[in-house]
Amino acid sequence: MNNPRFRKLLDAILVPLLAILSGLVVMGILIVILDKPVFESYAILFSNGFGCKEFGNCIFITTLERATPLILTGLSAVVAFRSGMFSIGQEGQYLLGAAAAAWLGYALHLPPILHALVLLLAGMLVGSAYGWIPGILKVKLGVNELLATIMLNSIAALIVEYLVQFPMRADTSAVAHSPVIDASAQLMSFLPGSKWGVGFVIAVMAVIVVYVYLWRTKSGYEQRMAGQSRRFALFGGILSDRAAIRAMLISGALAGLAGAIEVMGVHRRIMTGFSVGLGFDGLTSAILGQVHPFGVFIVAILFSGLKLGAQLGLQLNLDIPRELGGTIIGFIILFVAAGRFYEESIARIRDWFTRRRSQNLKGESS
Amino acid sequence: MTPAIEMKGITKYFASTQVRANDQVDFSVESGEVHGLVGENGAGKTTLMNILYGLIKPDSGEILIDSQKVQIDHPDDAIKHGIGMVHQHFKLIPSFTVAQNILLGMEPHQSGFLNQQKENELVEDLAKKYNLPVDPAAHIRDLPVGMQQRVEILKVLEHNAKILILDEPTAVLTPQEVNELITVIRGLTKLGYTIIFITHKLVEVMSIADRVSVMRAGRMVGTKKISETSIPELARMMVGREVLLRVKKKEIPRGEVVFEARDISVSDVNGLAAISHVSFQVHKGEIVAIAGVSGNGQTELVEAISGMNSVDGGEILFRGKPVNEASVGERRDMGMAHIPEDRMVVGLNLQTTLDENLIVSRYNHAEFSRYGFLLMKTISEFAEKVVKAFSISAARSGEGISMLSGGNLQKVVVGRELSGNPAFIIANQPTRGLDVGSIEFVHKTLIEERDKGAGVLLISAELDEVMALSDRILVLYRGRIQGELNAATATEEAVGILMAGGMLEDLKREVQS
Repeated sequence: MNNPRFRKLLDAILVPLLAILSGLVVMGILIVILDKPVFESYAILFSNGFGCKEFGNCIFITTLERATPLILTGLSAVVAFRSGMFSIGQEGQYLLGAAAAAWLGYALHLPPILHALVLLLAGMLVGSAYGWIPGILKVKLGVNELLATIMLNSIAALIVEYLVQFPMRADTSAVAHSPVIDASAQLMSFLPGSKWGVGFVIAVMAVIVVYVYLWRTKSGYEQRMAGQSRRFALFGGILSDRAAIRAMLISGALAGLAGAIEVMGVHRRIMTGFSVGLGFDGLTSAILGQVHPFGVFIVAILFSGLKLGAQLGLQLNLDIPRELGGTIIGFIILFVAAGRFYEESIARIRDWFTRRRSQNLKGESS
Repeated sequence: MTPAIEMKGITKYFASTQVRANDQVDFSVESGEVHGLVGENGAGKTTLMNILYGLIKPDSGEILIDSQKVQIDHPDDAIKHGIGMVHQHFKLIPSFTVAQNILLGMEPHQSGFLNQQKENELVEDLAKKYNLPVDPAAHIRDLPVGMQQRVEILKVLEHNAKILILDEPTAVLTPQEVNELITVIRGLTKLGYTIIFITHKLVEVMSIADRVSVMRAGRMVGTKKISETSIPELARMMVGREVLLRVKKKEIPRGEVVFEARDISVSDVNGLAAISHVSFQVHKGEIVAIAGVSGNGQTELVEAISGMNSVDGGEILFRGKPVNEASVGERRDMGMAHIPEDRMVVGLNLQTTLDENLIVSRYNHAEFSRYGFLLMKTISEFAEKVVKAFSISAARSGEGISMLSGGNLQKVVVGRELSGNPAFIIANQPTRGLDVGSIEFVHKTLIEERDKGAGVLLISAELDEVMALSDRILVLYRGRIQGELNAATATEEAVGILMAGGMLEDLKREVQS
């Protein structure tokens, strides 16, 4: 308890944990109102999000598959936030990265591994380029990056919608979609019947790379210092503008990579309504995960599991509408946003304990 | 004589910072005296006074006023008992007039309408009564700091305070204003008022107080009559060891010019001229002081010299090369070090570790990074080395610095800036807000660097500091060099006159008449 490192870790975990618990309590209340069995609901929520009946038939595998793009868009947000850029442009970068990968996937024909590499790279490049726009606008003209990225998200969504509806459209089926990408460009999955595969490994690698980059390299140091205190960075001789642009390029690349992987490993094509808010969920994972790569990794998995369990499990087993699942997740986000409340409560409880302890000590000594 | 105030066994523990700010403190002030309360930063002076003024609730202890036990839970209670406080940072409304500020909340009115005329008359009477002349119709924003302080004092008097707490009242004043304040305080004691004077400047306490109480680390060390104590004794009580109040400085020949400003002009954030046509040189092995009251262009001058801001005109030469276009990093690589005036926001990043704070000016160098990666082990060893060399107690490699005291934070800044063997050091208000022990350390270190052959540009509003350290003194007034003095022959009076915008001829004339 007195080890500062351990205490720091505890502080980092405690707030999101309490927020999730509060969210689950609210869910219990809602379920009672709906007149459904509360404890059974919890059991179903967890078994459908994180359960494993037997090897090879694991719902948790699906959770990991769903978490893959969240981890990457979450990392994208981490890199931007840590560098002082409040960019929420992950959604747009993700969509454009996906579109680029989908197009090259059927338009280009290359040998297996090379084709996949080209697609991944293309996704990253396109995402990067799209991240550069708000970066340069901020640095050169002082345009607020938050507003710029909101607008750029809408623009990207409409561009991709157009691409899917017209130039890239494969056939005249009701739901517009692009042709299936070549087998040479698809990412392998580890288990038959599942889509959990190479993409997840790339995401895990990205977690480590982002951590090492931000905390162990010169460039990462520059970005974090500029992000925490521009005055301090200027004073020390760090070129903050350059660091901010670099942050947006990397942030865009990670979100674009998420889009490419989603195309190559899961859908094998791009279709209308391709993004189901993955960019924003990644953003949420970043904030819930204390803007730290490892935090993002844990939260993205937790988040995907809850979503799966709350939205599918409860609906299938107990006939609880899937919207309720979404509501619970909304509540959890709300409770995290109110994190200060928990921090203050924790501090107050800690104060009370230390005071009691010091009084006890005094009592013993006198 | 009966004590006006007695505080007995006051204890206050702050759980959030785990600091016992006041530990069984006994404090008593006699009626009609000026009582100095001194101690280093964090000694608990302000906590004790905030308890007396009802801003903080003590864990235990009692307060007696005129031998009656009282309960003070709120400043309103304190005011009711005749206690008034003038805070270090004034609580005045800049766009209101003097009269409006003094009578705030108790304006004379007639069926809801204010009577400006009557307000002004009331304040005029008040000012006459206490012999504290002010212009009731003047706006606060147009008044110099010393005058604003006078308004604060009048405001407290208007609330019928009999006991005035002045928290660091001289921190923001020019030497002349300090003298005026001393006269004001003398006048008030003659009228029977009791004054508690919080400060960490011992010279002032000696010249103004009747008795003085010294606090250290939350405890009351002792109370002395001024006539029976001395500055060295008080310093020893404050710090807990012998202190060199004026560091020794040996004469050394100065070397070649290391830094030169040629006719430079700089504008402030609003685009107004803050520095106009300033020229000076700094040689190796000398300390040049830029004296002056804060806000006369010091900030802008330093930002231009260090490269944080650009100049509008003129030329800056460092080691013989023009550096107008050079970035902060390039200038630092050439051997420029900078101790900024604001260590909390500019000089340090309180959100990160000691190590990352210590490398900000040199993370790029081969000693700390290779192939783009930071050499974590070397950096950590460097941090341990700096902690040891500058005896930064409580700081440890790999840990945060936000909990360190002001003195220790400044040691982190000084440690970083001076560990690279700089050729030229900008030291901007390097001891602002520091206690006696830390001031001694910073002064000693700066003189050591000068003796090693560095050129030092000291920017300071503290006359004592300027006189103690510098070889040459330039006085900055409204963005211009008002005059240059040789430190060996300069008097505090002469520097003070220049700081207030006067000319050296004024002094001569005064002497003759």
